Amino acid sequence: MHYLSDGFKAAFTILLSGQEETFNAIFTTLKVSTFSILLTLAAGIPLGFILGYYSFPGKHACRAISDTLMAIPTVVVGLLIYAFISRSGPFGGLGLLFTLRGVAIGQFFLGLPVVVSLTASATEQMEDSTRLTLMTLGASPGQLAASSLWEGRYAVVAAAMTAYSRIISEVGVSMMIGGNIKWRTRTITTAIALETGKGQFAEGIALGIVLLSIAFIVNGAVSVARKRAAS
Amino acid sequence: MTYIYELENITQSYAGRTVLEVSELKIERGSILGITGPNGCGKSTLLRILAFLERPRSGRLLFKSIPVHDINEQLRREATLLLQETRLLKRTVFENVVYGLKARAIKEGLTRKVHSALEMVGLDPEDFAGRHWFQLSGGESQRVALASRLVLRPEVLILDEPTASIDANSARIIARAIVDAREKFGASIVLVSHDIEWSYSAADEVISMFSGKIRSKNIENIIQGPWEEGNDGTVLRYLEDGQIITAAGKPGNEYSMGLLDPGDIILSLDYPGNSSARNTLRGTVTRMNLEDEGRSILVTVNIQDTVLTSRITKGSLSRLGIVPGSTVILVFKSNSIRWA
Repeated sequence: MHYLSDGFKAAFTILLSGQEETFNAIFTTLKVSTFSILLTLAAGIPLGFILGYYSFPGKHACRAISDTLMAIPTVVVGLLIYAFISRSGPFGGLGLLFTLRGVAIGQFFLGLPVVVSLTASATEQMEDSTRLTLMTLGASPGQLAASSLWEGRYAVVAAAMTAYSRIISEVGVSMMIGGNIKWRTRTITTAIALETGKGQFAEGIALGIVLLSIAFIVNGAVSVARKRAAS
Repeated sequence: MTYIYELENITQSYAGRTVLEVSELKIERGSILGITGPNGCGKSTLLRILAFLERPRSGRLLFKSIPVHDINEQLRREATLLLQETRLLKRTVFENVVYGLKARAIKEGLTRKVHSALEMVGLDPEDFAGRHWFQLSGGESQRVALASRLVLRPEVLILDEPTASIDANSARIIARAIVDAREKFGASIVLVSHDIEWSYSAADEVISMFSGKIRSKNIENIIQGPWEEGNDGTVLRYLEDGQIITAAGKPGNEYSMGLLDPGDIILSLDYPGNSSARNTLRGTVTRMNLEDEGRSILVTVNIQDTVLTSRITKGSLSRLGIVPGSTVILVFKSNSIRWA
């Protein structure tokens, strides 16, 4: 077990000394995941709200598809996106393969079902009395929709955080689309996989500590948002 | 006389079950109408129709003498409903109260209007305006919800059990604010409450509902089952303290409700010696309310778990000399109880 305790000691040394390669992977991860989540929220919240708030033909089928895609393996998303953006794929000419933009697109499709399904659930679960309260205060249909979304904002924040957790911790898309290129597309998760494969536990543990810290912060925020949503 | 609402043959049904049948109801503009009745009697459905939250299945509804065909937010902005289950928006008190004004695109004097509405419900604006919804007690939440309606100065204010499950002080303030709403801006008020005495003292007219129908335009005592068969074709309701209510006739079932007009109950200080009335129950006076401009008095008497209201004349009151806390005997005939 010495290698594990030695690994932890070395990990803190790496983090405290500000090793450039490690911090590059951290910043790359934060940059691409932030971009991905913003893209996901911009599309996912309106789609989830429409799915939860309105009734339309095929609604249940859409919901079933979205719910199923929440559990899609990251490597499958990676594979599909790869097929589309590789040189011989329909979008091969855009030069997205082995770029952070390509990784962001993959992460977008990974996070989208999470945001859509959880926002739809939050909207569906909104108590009838909230809708009636808004109506009795004279809200127009547009105001009713906007205010309903605002009333469910804490549940939507929880959905966003859950999606972010999935995005930041994924390895399949980053590896297959980004290619784990040093200084360019290497993220925390791809770096951990690489360093562990090389037997460099210290780097892997250092990056794991950072990833875990981010996960704790995000989950703490989710917990607070859920409490507010339930109050 | 002008009416704010006129209802003719209004019915409502859910999943094929008729829950409301109102043959005729006219509500005078600027009046306070009290509605009483047991749970599930159709009161809330009637309120939702009056608040334009749902369309009746059939019948004719006139609002300010104009037939209502389509319900929309323009109508809802004239008749606002305070729901039984208060749901404040997840915002500050100020944002809750100002919501309806903003929905109406009113931009002038928002702070002044919100503060004035909060003062009407006894909440200090300086202290409460900035509080969040989760920083309020049940009574304070209900007062904020009422302020959110009062600030709109609606033509009609509809209230569904506004004082249920809140503290006595909040209930008193809300009761006062409702009467103020009529005095200050002439709102017509429709009030549903289990508190029969309050309904009767606040309202110009009280109607009783049962099984989706308006049973009476007068106050009624409702005696709930279970009823047990007596020896001589009567049915008996055993009270917690061992006293028995005897009713003539056949109830629909064991749990049918008996209706008893307060005017049919005579109050006495002693058990009557030669009365033909089958019911003589001992109870304690808990409340007395003037009605009919002081010509008669409604006396509420508690008999353990049962509450009965008797209507007596001013002369009877001075002869009996009763006050809240007095022990009295309620006397009524078994055939005074009618079956709902």
